[in-house]
Amino acid sequence: MKPKNFCGRTRREFMWQAGGGFAGTALAGLMGNQFFASQAVAADDETAWENPLAAKASHFAPKAKSIIFLFMYGGPSHIDTFDYKPKMTGMDNKMVDVKTFGRGGHKNQGRIVEPRWKFKQHGECGKWVSSLFPNVAKHVDDIAFIHSMTADSPIHGSAMLQMNSGEILSGSPCLGSWVNYGLGTENQNLPGFVVMLDKRGGPISGPKNWSAGYMPASFQATQLRSKGTPILNLSPNQIEKLTQRKMIDVIQQYNQDHYINRGDNTNLAARIASYELAYKMQASAPEAVDLNQESEETKKLYGLEHPQAGYFGKQCLLARRMVERGVRFVQIYSGGNHNDANWDAHGDLKQNHDLHAMETDQPIAALLEDLKRRGLFEETLVVWGGEFGRQPTAEYAKGTGRDHNAYGFTMWMAGGGIKGGISVGKTDELGSRAVEDRFHVRRIHATILNQMGIDCDRLSYFFGGLDRKLVGVEGSTPIPQLIS
Amino acid sequence: MTTCVSQPSVLKVSNGAFTCIFMMYLLFAFGSAALADDDLVSGENLIRNASFENIKNDQPVDWKTSTWSGQPKFEIETEFGHTGKSCVKISSSEGADASWSYKLSVKPNEEYELSAWIKTDKLDGGGLGSQLNFHELQMEGKTDPIRGTKDWTRVTSRFHSGPRSELLLNCLYGGWGHSTGTVWFDDVSVVMVRPEPVKLTMSKDEAGVFFEDKVLPVLQKNCFECHGGEKTKAELVLTNRDDMVAGGESGAAIKLDDLAESLLLSAINYDAFEMPPSGMLSKTEIADITTWVHHGAIWKGAQIKPAPVVESHSVPQVNTETKKWWSFNKPKPVPSPQTKSAWVSNEIDEFILTRLQANELSPNPRASKQTLIRRAYYDLTGLPPTPAEVNQFLGDHASDAYEVMIDRLLDSKHYGEKWGRHWLDLVRYAESNSYERDSTKPFVWRYRDYVIKSHNEDKPFDQFVIEQLAGDELERMTPDSLIATGYYRLGIWDDEPVDKNQAWYDDMDDVLATTSQAFLGITVNCARCHDHKIDPIPQADYYKMLSFFRNVQRYGVRGHDTVLRQSTRPIESQSKQDQFNSETKAHRDAIQANRNSMAEVEKLVKTNFIPVEHEEFRHENNRVRLVKQRVGVTIGEQVFTTADAEKYEQLFEEMKRLRQQPPKEMERALCVTENGSDAPKTHVMIRGNANSPGDEVQPGFPSVLSPPDAEITVPSNKKTTGRRLALAKWIASPDNPLTARVFVNRIWQHHFGRGIVRSSNDFGFQGIKPSHPELLDWLANEFVSGGWKMKKFHKMLMMSSTYQMSSAPNEASTKVDPTNNLFWRFDMRRLTAEEIRDSILAVNGTLNRNKMFGPSIFPTIEKEILHGQSQPGSNWGRSSPEDITRRSVYIHIKRSLPVPMMQSFDVADTDSSCPVRFNTVQPTQALGMINSVFVNEQAAIFAEIVKKHAPENLNEQIEFALKQVLQRNPTSAEIQRGAQFVETQSQLKTEKVDPLKLFCVIALNLNEFMYLD
Repeated sequence: MKPKNFCGRTRREFMWQAGGGFAGTALAGLMGNQFFASQAVAADDETAWENPLAAKASHFAPKAKSIIFLFMYGGPSHIDTFDYKPKMTGMDNKMVDVKTFGRGGHKNQGRIVEPRWKFKQHGECGKWVSSLFPNVAKHVDDIAFIHSMTADSPIHGSAMLQMNSGEILSGSPCLGSWVNYGLGTENQNLPGFVVMLDKRGGPISGPKNWSAGYMPASFQATQLRSKGTPILNLSPNQIEKLTQRKMIDVIQQYNQDHYINRGDNTNLAARIASYELAYKMQASAPEAVDLNQESEETKKLYGLEHPQAGYFGKQCLLARRMVERGVRFVQIYSGGNHNDANWDAHGDLKQNHDLHAMETDQPIAALLEDLKRRGLFEETLVVWGGEFGRQPTAEYAKGTGRDHNAYGFTMWMAGGGIKGGISVGKTDELGSRAVEDRFHVRRIHATILNQMGIDCDRLSYFFGGLDRKLVGVEGSTPIPQLIS
Repeated sequence: MTTCVSQPSVLKVSNGAFTCIFMMYLLFAFGSAALADDDLVSGENLIRNASFENIKNDQPVDWKTSTWSGQPKFEIETEFGHTGKSCVKISSSEGADASWSYKLSVKPNEEYELSAWIKTDKLDGGGLGSQLNFHELQMEGKTDPIRGTKDWTRVTSRFHSGPRSELLLNCLYGGWGHSTGTVWFDDVSVVMVRPEPVKLTMSKDEAGVFFEDKVLPVLQKNCFECHGGEKTKAELVLTNRDDMVAGGESGAAIKLDDLAESLLLSAINYDAFEMPPSGMLSKTEIADITTWVHHGAIWKGAQIKPAPVVESHSVPQVNTETKKWWSFNKPKPVPSPQTKSAWVSNEIDEFILTRLQANELSPNPRASKQTLIRRAYYDLTGLPPTPAEVNQFLGDHASDAYEVMIDRLLDSKHYGEKWGRHWLDLVRYAESNSYERDSTKPFVWRYRDYVIKSHNEDKPFDQFVIEQLAGDELERMTPDSLIATGYYRLGIWDDEPVDKNQAWYDDMDDVLATTSQAFLGITVNCARCHDHKIDPIPQADYYKMLSFFRNVQRYGVRGHDTVLRQSTRPIESQSKQDQFNSETKAHRDAIQANRNSMAEVEKLVKTNFIPVEHEEFRHENNRVRLVKQRVGVTIGEQVFTTADAEKYEQLFEEMKRLRQQPPKEMERALCVTENGSDAPKTHVMIRGNANSPGDEVQPGFPSVLSPPDAEITVPSNKKTTGRRLALAKWIASPDNPLTARVFVNRIWQHHFGRGIVRSSNDFGFQGIKPSHPELLDWLANEFVSGGWKMKKFHKMLMMSSTYQMSSAPNEASTKVDPTNNLFWRFDMRRLTAEEIRDSILAVNGTLNRNKMFGPSIFPTIEKEILHGQSQPGSNWGRSSPEDITRRSVYIHIKRSLPVPMMQSFDVADTDSSCPVRFNTVQPTQALGMINSVFVNEQAAIFAEIVKKHAPENLNEQIEFALKQVLQRNPTSAEIQRGAQFVETQSQLKTEKVDPLKLFCVIALNLNEFMYLD
């Protein structure tokens, strides 16, 4: 009566998931083909405890080892940055019939706000880029632009969740959690999923954007700060290193005694091991964030001294150091808090985008260049984009502010086996919606997983009676044009 | 396409055909440069007296005025109009928010176009300006606001009437702020939008040729791959006419009886669906397909019939075979086996021992009293015993010492705090809504208190179920039973959903998923979009069950006041409510009277203002000063006196006082509400899409359980449908095959570390079968015949020898049964997150055990973590020192901001029902336990207590600390180890931190502290 092995789980794996009495020593696999065989829980007293984040084999040979997701929170305007709309020239203030949907609701017409920046062609591919990104423009031959992105929601809360977790409903694990669940991390002394926030605060919904949802907390992101102690609870308060080592030694002595008569309990062994790992993390993380090891030239490249770009520059440099050390997934937020503290240009488009582009242009270009010269570019997938784009028309009777647009927007990818110098998909002549080769957010997720060697339709997690996937129950496919 | 048409009269919609031609002209003239709207706007203007020509008693017939705030001037302009002789006007010099309003009757679920002509003069100030909107619609239907000075301008917008048949149309002045200046409105029109009819010009033969030339290539290129080629998505085949007409999951693609309404057309126009998904077809292609469909979808040439699809694994059907599944049938009466063994304490042991013996296993010996007291304390109260309690128990050699202890713990008020928390996990209890604002749920803590109290009172579980699902529908509703229905309000809530209709279904899906998993242990939620893939639960059964909730109001509309309106009710007596209402009215009247008196003075002095003073006067703080400056000035005919100014000042102060002292708010409950006793129809939603209704269904229980019909009685107060009570009674019935089994399995799980069914939210086909099916049935029967009472059930489990076994390893037994599937020993467990925090506070003596209930507490969250919020610190309060040491069950649960320590030790995720918590081991836990501010602060307090206990003697200090933590006497070697650490540290000159505090940190990190044997 029971369908045979419906989702390819072994009984033992299943029992772990169901939360049996021995749950939690290590995370057993939930995917077919023995994907996680090495992780299966052993109650046989022989298999050693493994960190849930221990590196695991991918479905097929990966192109990329790490991802750096540059999240332009608030929604940058595609037609003012990378999606050139020459026919809008001279149309400023004209009323047009155009269907839009943003926080101001559904509208059928609006007043055109002509893009406020000049576009020029760049690179061998001749890509048109606006004057907002003069430095990124130098790298267009390495970048693949996706101009026909669509998302399900033009409202920040749900759109952020979708870009990060695939779902507009709260409660699902984020992309970084999925990648770590699927692949683990190569450097167990550092977190596998790191998030860096804007100096003005987090994005709306805060930690929901890097939460592990229904997966264990081990898969959520760790906030990495570029000032002070990099990770919460990482530094021993006022205590000397030697003292702390002694403390851990004493803890371990007591715990070893306790373990002697309970030798078949792998949880206890795991806990003993976890103190050693914690100790190593304390040593590794400060080294990983120590920018004194960088040359002056590098610091200058990222614009660390630049009054506007310095903060994001430091984060980009940290991101490079993280991926160098095997961190799987790094996410940096450009923009935080509310209103014009991020790309959400409802008021003065010019002022808003000038600021946020200024803060990010040089650092992003530096990151691409630095990855290249260090030979990391091919194994690092850089993703740029916000939760949606912006409308071609004005939100209000006055001013240049644009409302949200999930009908069409631009994202770009570079490195990690992505073809450079190409643009796929199109929006209409106003950029109001994607009309050609439209790609839903799920396609971006599928592409990212693909570059990491994961088949998006096979990466699943059993929860609440369903095999959940990042790309939804219906599955998805990577964007073929992007893959070299 | 320019729509700021300055030519009047042409677009005054009265003649459908004319407009149609005009629109087509526009389309033609402007080509496809912009997205044109091809719909036909036609039909009658639904507004009577649209041009304000019909005036009676100085009022335009059918129109009335609304003042939202400020003091607007409403007039009828008789000098001119956009058309005709008159129009209406609003003006204000000081700023106002007001409108000319019209009660509009519309047909539900239709699209309309609104238009009007607006003229403005110096329209300025803080409001949006002038626009048309609908009171009931949030975003839709608003026209773009107009400000400044503008001659007659036409504004338009579109809206969808949704379920409504009446809407309040506002010609709005101001709009979410105060405007000044003047606006005129004229020629308001609301017209239904209909798709443009296509002219039939081709003969049948011509249509066939047209198909081959123009349509078939488009279909081949864009549709066949997914619909009839390799795949048949949504069961729709488009490779031949018959299948197009037959349609798929969403119905016919070609509707022969109403060709214009064919789904194929709305799909390629991106209305119902967006097809093809990769991008819209070109305008010509869409036009060609439309023409073809209107000509009857004539198919010429080859028609491709796909080979029948063979399902790789079929979906289980409801039939006699599937109905036999063990959990779908009532537990049978089972006699307990008779082993006649001395080990056996009660029937539970008979069942366990029989299976052990059959596998040649023997039960582990009894655990020590030391172990048992710790096990029992944590299991029933979540707290460690004090050393004194341990001593007392160890010294009590009476044969019933253990039983007496269990009885005492079951009577403890802390029992509800521990076991209530298990229930809160299942109902995904949280105190905020998630999403952008993640706002706090009002009075939600009353539900938490209700759960704790119900446990402490030993409320029968069937009653507990009924109260949560339908406490408001009970004949004798009590404040508690109303609070219980807060159950429906615990989930996530998007206050700004993309699609409101879909959002209601998403909310109810959340309720249905939780209800079916938590109460029934089945995953009905998997049948939302299609038949359940693994269990015999057809999609129709999902919607039958949803139907019980069909009339439930959404949690709120948008703002907090809407939440208060839709999700809270007063819980005070009627007389108190009446008193509150009269006090509120009196208070409001007093404010108004005071305002009137002030206005008199203000009106007078303002005539003396210079322009900038008007500006200044807007700020309250300046008012008294500006009035006082008039003393001695002759205004009008009188001199403004000091007494006049003082009187104003008094009124001003009185106003402040009144505002600060409103009547005391009434106590309210977060609860479920319905829209009266008539529920809207429930339909099966095709593919789970809230906008694709299929067949209608009636309330009903999952058919595979062979349930009775739902007996629904509308309650006498007609406030609700009575449907939820019908559902509740069926779930709480002794005849329900699942409820009792599912719940006793949970009790077992929390005592023994895992359920007899390990997948405790899933008793269906993919759940794990019970390890001891007979025992589970026997327990379920005991529970029901014992009146669904939990406390004696706990006692029965804990009095068994099975519960009292040691957790020690046994090599031989491990070989036979490595996972302890047969319960040959007791499984060790780690403390839960709450137990860890509470225990730290308990061992250092700071735990505030006495204060129970009430609003939640806010432990300090590191500012680094708060920085991750978009508004750092938002909605995270500060608690008093007295509150901050209360038990963890009282910690505020904010969905977007989990307390790091609690999260790191695996508290339940709150976005869905959590049957079993994770039990992870990760280095971040270790980092938190040695480095966090919390642990270090608590260790410092701990060290002070230790010193107080034994001021001089280091060995005694270590002994005391270890005893507090481990609840046993430490060995001399253990004491020696600690003392040595402290001594060595003390000799270090460089280390400034108190070595005893460091030892206390060590003590709190011991595995023996964190784990129970």
